[in-house]
Amino acid sequence: MDLSTLLDYVFKGLDTSAPIAFAALGGVFSEKSGVVNIALEGGMLFSAFSIVWGSIAFHSLWWGLLFAVIIGMAFAAIHAVVTVTYKVNQIVSGVALNILAEGVARFLSQNIFGQETQSAMNPYAFPTYRGMNIFALALIPITAISWFVLNKTVFGLRLRSVGENPEAADTLGINVTLMRYSGVLISGAMCGLSAAVLYPSRWVSGMTGGRGFIALAAMIFGRWSPIGAVLASLLFGYADTARIMFESKIQIPSQFVQMFPYVLAVVVLGGLVGKARAPAADGLPYEKGED
Amino acid sequence: MKRFNKYTLYEISAPLIGFVASMLILLVIVIIVGENPGTATDAIWKMTFASSTRTATILSTAVPEFLAGLAAAFAFRANIFNIGVEGQYFVGGLVGALAGIYVPLPAWLHLPFVVIAAMVGGALWTAIPAALKVSRGIHEVITTIMFNNIALALVNYLVNGPLSGIGAGGSLEPQTKHILPTALFGNINGLFRAVGWNVPDSVYLDYSLPVAILAGVVVWFILFRLRIGFDVRAIGTSTDVALYAGINVGRTQLWAFIFSGALAGLIGLQEIFAVRGYYTFQIASGLGFDGIAIALIGRNSPIGVVFAALLFAFLRQAGYGLQFFTKVPNSVISVITGLMILIIVVTSELVSRYIKALRKKEAM
Repeated sequence: MDLSTLLDYVFKGLDTSAPIAFAALGGVFSEKSGVVNIALEGGMLFSAFSIVWGSIAFHSLWWGLLFAVIIGMAFAAIHAVVTVTYKVNQIVSGVALNILAEGVARFLSQNIFGQETQSAMNPYAFPTYRGMNIFALALIPITAISWFVLNKTVFGLRLRSVGENPEAADTLGINVTLMRYSGVLISGAMCGLSAAVLYPSRWVSGMTGGRGFIALAAMIFGRWSPIGAVLASLLFGYADTARIMFESKIQIPSQFVQMFPYVLAVVVLGGLVGKARAPAADGLPYEKGED
Repeated sequence: MKRFNKYTLYEISAPLIGFVASMLILLVIVIIVGENPGTATDAIWKMTFASSTRTATILSTAVPEFLAGLAAAFAFRANIFNIGVEGQYFVGGLVGALAGIYVPLPAWLHLPFVVIAAMVGGALWTAIPAALKVSRGIHEVITTIMFNNIALALVNYLVNGPLSGIGAGGSLEPQTKHILPTALFGNINGLFRAVGWNVPDSVYLDYSLPVAILAGVVVWFILFRLRIGFDVRAIGTSTDVALYAGINVGRTQLWAFIFSGALAGLIGLQEIFAVRGYYTFQIASGLGFDGIAIALIGRNSPIGVVFAALLFAFLRQAGYGLQFFTKVPNSVISVITGLMILIIVVTSELVSRYIKALRKKEAM
């Protein structure tokens, strides 16, 4: 492999990994606060639509990005209301939101762009370098900030405490509801960032292709830590890029390369690195004064 | 027997409220899009109940949806989120198809054999996630999502590679060899015509319908008449309570999870054995996720899942009706399906809070 191909692989791989990594970081924030968010997939899809829609409407990519982040947060807010306020099962809400997001994006696409399955071309785009959307580089500072916020700030400590032991946190005067809303809303914002790397030049129905679920796996694989989640996302992304770039050159059937990261994730989760431990109250609604 | 009281009435109110509310939302969307509500209702009517062909199509579409819902519901009952139904029916369907292609048997034996093979395939594909959950505590949502992706790649490889039967039917689409005639599912449309329901042969009402009914009855019997079903339901109510009651939670969940996968194996029967007559990785996807939604709407009961599956099939036809005859896009069906689930779960939460308060009051 010559240097040029190697560089292509490095940059293209980062481009493929970044959307998964952003969503996985979102998953970390949400689950650290005690809310499982399997609606990352829907959030990514809807945000990906929103960034195209917003860029065209506001004639600016940055406004489009801001719009996508806000839409991602608004979408996540539904999850927060349903699961934190109404204490509905979090997976159930996530399943419903994934169906809803797909429907709403297609419905809006039909009414705005006249086509149900794809949007118009978006003339605004981030520049690319060797096949990489340069916004993917934002992953590096965002990962560092996420680590810092979760581990070195009062907010992060509070967020983690309501995910581990909401009763104790409540006794200490921490607002469990507020913290959980924050965690879920941050995951929505991350879906917006993920969309900024994901979209090519137009939105296409189903373009997320299960990346939101892969992000969830990456989060668990990375043991609910921001850096771990990003590293796991890189593994998934680079394996997938290898499959696409070197499909014709390698002897093993491409489908085996395709399944490799998933098999690896199962094997690793299954025992090589010990039990991955979720936040203790992850997935459990908090009932104040429950007897 | 459970006494039918006002609490039961409250409990079934949530799905009804969800359905009515989402239909009203549909009407509002229709008006916003600038379509005449009358035209829209007419369009839905034309595609759903206007002719026996349409009604039969709803029944036919409901069969795989029902099986998907049943598989998800059984796992839910044991407090397991089987997101892996998707991969389980892709693998189960392939194993069933292989039994139909490579094992020559007389028809009376071949038909049950392929059904069982499909169940075994689904069960095997569930075994590892189930074992990992029970022995290592790894959340099934993650392992089953991984297994869905692995399954898709695996069947893609097998159908393109070792099991390829391209040329067998003159088709260039990647597919297996043709299933032996002894294992093909014939239609039972004549049976319906005999009782006065004029179902044309173009609608697939085949052996997968009685298989689905049988599966529903078996699930009901297991859940409500067998000891293991009691254990499953106890775990579903509360894992802690089940532990205190001396139930072997791990073993019961392992069994329930694998049985859910076996049920999932049946989902593809209609398409593989009645519609296509061969296996391809291009069989309808997404039924696993439909199944989860159907289980939720049907409150995880076999009867509820029947209604929810019929509702899903009705909505799908309604969507086609809107698409053909009005300006309302088909996607509106996904929108209201998502909303319907949210309304149902939030309403049932509010209802159960109300019942709790009511019971407290009555106890005093």
